[in-house]
Amino acid sequence: MRKKKVGAIAIKSFAMLVVFGTACQAMAQDAKTTYPSMAPIEQYLMPDQGSEIALARSASPDSISRDAEVLVLGRHGFETAVKGKNGFVCIVERSWTSAADPDFWNPKVRTPICYNAAAARSVLLRNTKRTNLILAGRTQAQVDEAIFAAVDKKELSAMGPGAMCYMMSKQGYGGDSVEHWPSHLMFFYSQTDPATWGAGLPGSPILAMSDDHEHVTTFAIGVQRWSDGTEAR
Amino acid sequence: MARNQIHSIFLSAFALVAALIASRPAAAQDAKQPYPSMAPVEQYLMDRDAEIALARSAAPDAISHDASVIVLTRHGYETAVQGKNGWVCWVGRGWMAMFDHPEFWNPKIRAADCLNPPAARSVLPYAYKRTELLLAGHSKPEVIAAIKSAIEKKELPALEQGTVSYMMSKSSYLTDSGDHNGPHLMFFQTNKNDATWGANLTNSPVLSVNYWYLSVEAYPQLKSFPPLSVFLVVVDKWSDGTPAPPM
Repeated sequence: MRKKKVGAIAIKSFAMLVVFGTACQAMAQDAKTTYPSMAPIEQYLMPDQGSEIALARSASPDSISRDAEVLVLGRHGFETAVKGKNGFVCIVERSWTSAADPDFWNPKVRTPICYNAAAARSVLLRNTKRTNLILAGRTQAQVDEAIFAAVDKKELSAMGPGAMCYMMSKQGYGGDSVEHWPSHLMFFYSQTDPATWGAGLPGSPILAMSDDHEHVTTFAIGVQRWSDGTEAR
Repeated sequence: MARNQIHSIFLSAFALVAALIASRPAAAQDAKQPYPSMAPVEQYLMDRDAEIALARSAAPDAISHDASVIVLTRHGYETAVQGKNGWVCWVGRGWMAMFDHPEFWNPKIRAADCLNPPAARSVLPYAYKRTELLLAGHSKPEVIAAIKSAIEKKELPALEQGTVSYMMSKSSYLTDSGDHNGPHLMFFQTNKNDATWGANLTNSPVLSVNYWYLSVEAYPQLKSFPPLSVFLVVVDKWSDGTPAPPM
């Protein structure tokens, strides 16, 4: 199942990692019927920019997100709504970059993420490019092909040292497969053996997923609290 | 467990890594500390089997079962178990903390740690070097100078990418403070800026410290050492899978 199983680079959320395999596969048939193609663009947009900014910022503690750049989705792609000053970039990603395959076109998906500067230069650029292509009417296969080619030509950066993001929002909607992600952090590396981090082994607090096409390995670590400081378990 | 206690634990856990020292009127500094000098070496040693078991408890069995294990002797660490997955588990002592850490010579510190292969290759050699020199009776300034020289001669390695350390043992003693322990992961980075990971900010689950010192005032020579930060993420379970108290 080529890239579909791995999905876009942002499809590496903790929850997705958790449900990968059984849950996704079990629901795939129904979900494909439910969201067979892109919905009208309006369904992916948030009518109130203030709400989208607030949701984006909820991905990390206020101490980080209040000084972050914030992107919001427009009809042609993500646009800067708030200029930042600490290098972090917060965004509410949509289904085509941040949901399991069955929810690829689910217009209800809203995934708040705050990327640090290193991840904003690598991971986020891939996701915004993917979004631009999707909104321009490309198919999922065409988008994959374009992204893989850009990665191979090094038009899209490899993962830089220390690339990571926060996904600690109490809000958002991960999709019908997984309605809400657990609070977690993600770390991005250029193709690394997950065993190097002990990821996915019994008892390990680290999960990982490798994307052979985009040459990225993502590690996810659950954390104890939501971004507002309340306990998450 | 209060956040400042977590930080205290982290500072001690940080010990498990390795650092350097510097010089300065160390005597004046140490005189204010609860453990001003090294205790008799016997107080730092453990029963070999107990040390192996404690070292392995730093990570889930799925990792530590096949890891190498090193144990402390009177002259330094030696391999007690040869592993096959590239990981190395060990029990750090107080002197693996920053050189100006107040519990540097605390003989009760037992910090179980399992280092992944990149960390074992690029972090552990500093621990070996430091331990051997200190057990041979060298002063902190002498150790600092020796490590600096070794770095300059490339006898000690540069930090590799992707270093991770598991410190999830329920049985560690990381500090005299609070509950003395807490499960966490550590990551080593060469950047100088805590802000790159949003560390040490309100409600952030990430903490970080400078690898070499708490305050560079104590050992100004450390200013010239390669930048190295240790980032910590608290996790919610011990290595045996039982839940840890919320932090």
